[in-house]
Amino acid sequence: MNEEQIVRLAGVSRVYRQGNVEVRAVDRLDLDIRAGEFSALCGPSGSGKTTILNMIGALDAPTEGAVYLEGRNLAELSRGALSRFRRDRVGFVFQSYNLIPVLTAYENAEFVLALQNVPLAERKERVMAVLREVGMADYADRRPDELSGGQQQRVAIARAVVSEPAIVLADEPTANVDSEAAATILDLMEQLNRDKGVTFLFSTHDQRVMDRARRLIRLRDGRLAADEGRK
Amino acid sequence: MLVLSLAWKNIRRYRHRTWVTILAMAFAGAIMIFYAGLLEGWMQAMETNVVSMEMGEVQMHAPGYRDDPDLYTRIPDPAAALLRAEAAGFTGSARLLGGGLAAAKENSAGVAIRGIEPEVEARVVRLHRHIKAGSWLVPGERRGVVLGQQLAVILDVRPGDELVLVGQAADGSMANDLFTVRGILKSVGQGIDRAGLFMPAADFRDFFALEAGAHEIVLLRADPALPLDTATETLAGLFPDLEVKSWRQLQPTLARLLDLSDVSLAIMLLIIYAAVGMLTMNAMLMGVFERIPMFGVMKAIGFSGVRLFGLVVWETLLQITLASLLALAAGLPVSFYFAKKPLDFSFLVKESSTIAGVAFEPQWYCRVTPASVLLPILFLYIVGLVAICYPALKAALLSPVRAIHHR
Repeated sequence: MNEEQIVRLAGVSRVYRQGNVEVRAVDRLDLDIRAGEFSALCGPSGSGKTTILNMIGALDAPTEGAVYLEGRNLAELSRGALSRFRRDRVGFVFQSYNLIPVLTAYENAEFVLALQNVPLAERKERVMAVLREVGMADYADRRPDELSGGQQQRVAIARAVVSEPAIVLADEPTANVDSEAAATILDLMEQLNRDKGVTFLFSTHDQRVMDRARRLIRLRDGRLAADEGRK
Repeated sequence: MLVLSLAWKNIRRYRHRTWVTILAMAFAGAIMIFYAGLLEGWMQAMETNVVSMEMGEVQMHAPGYRDDPDLYTRIPDPAAALLRAEAAGFTGSARLLGGGLAAAKENSAGVAIRGIEPEVEARVVRLHRHIKAGSWLVPGERRGVVLGQQLAVILDVRPGDELVLVGQAADGSMANDLFTVRGILKSVGQGIDRAGLFMPAADFRDFFALEAGAHEIVLLRADPALPLDTATETLAGLFPDLEVKSWRQLQPTLARLLDLSDVSLAIMLLIIYAAVGMLTMNAMLMGVFERIPMFGVMKAIGFSGVRLFGLVVWETLLQITLASLLALAAGLPVSFYFAKKPLDFSFLVKESSTIAGVAFEPQWYCRVTPASVLLPILFLYIVGLVAICYPALKAALLSPVRAIHHR
């Protein structure tokens, strides 16, 4: 595997059963993502975008083929190892923000570091730094229900990047926010990618995201339809 | 700490569900603390009635007397035996036992006559404080008798009335004499109620022409903390030529009945707590279902299934702890109140009656013991933790992908 290559999908298929019908969500896909990319999986609903993100994030396993993250075949990891791997090497940004409702913005961002047993003082420093970067330092004590959708998504981004993962997987990150908030979120992610070298992979059918992505991986019926860019 | 802190935040956030669960558990806990105290009180009253009304804790007889009660089978020197027993940490009283026929007016009945030293007997049993009418025997006063309550009804006598006793004396002659009814006992137990007749030991000796010895020595431990079996063994060692039995050996049926009261408490605990367990499981299951997407996200970002299991268990443990504190706050004052002021069932039972041959007062006192308080709380924890296993397991085994998209 290339040193810069973070993700590699080799002949990956994912088949679901719905009753007696087999649904092939991803079909023999080969794909690689390199460090520092700002890429988007795009395509219509049902094209397999989210399934691919789930497999790269070790949330789902392929029916055929193999997914490698930083050179490791995820199929070879135990359930506990996968959990630790997600905690340490993958950041997630979900469509519906999905912050933990009982925790403040600070505690949400701190959560992964606490799971990693990072010392308290270091945790505080890193969390406040990342909250400042996403413009949420002044809202650190607020709970998710006291924040707007855009603000929640910024906290979710802070949570995703605070542990300095190998890759941040963002599933339709702008789907539930208005245009202004979407632009802010995209600016923020671009800035993190540019300044800190954070690797982002989106799944989206939002043109605003596609316009910003430097690589567009177009999917149709679970297959690679086009791989544009890699600017 | 992370899991515990999150559990605490969760139960504070979902207040309604938390309070419903806590109040249900606390209510059941308080009821069970009160019920356990009441049952403990009832059991103690039963045991006390057996021990302190009639039997004492340990009895000694001459060999063969219990199998074949006989006027001639006696402990030869009861005074010396009592001195030795007292030196070994026991308080005792010697009794003379015989049978006869009592007649008053047109009525007659067979009687079990007991000759006692009133002041000595009062150190061991409480019959002198269990008088329904008249008074107890007065030391030094002769020709007075105290009767069981049913015997008094059969003979149709009241305090002050006279009755004639007829029996066979130790010398083979016919014994008969006139006595005055001094008092009538409350219910003590079937035996005494129907046939019990107490008289001073001196009158007994005169009546039956007995000069020495006693048929029975009744003993109490000076140190109640000394186990009954140990006390019995000690006495058996001291008096190898006598038959020494504890009240549990003399009344095995009653001893088993009292032991079964513990089982009865456990069954009640199980029934009530099964309902609480179902409620807890339902509440926690709802809590898990409501939070499936949140749990999915937590698992996705690295919160392991084991930690998620721990989170749900901690939430339950915190709720049980709060419920236990509430149960103690509600159950203990009520139990202590009824430990001083009894629950009075005399509107159902007019006076003391017997259960399994043992006197049973219509006033029930609570008895607050470590067991009556801790057992219901322990059961609350056990039931809560058993009930939470399924919801906690369900949370732990959630697939993050399905959970995140769960609606």
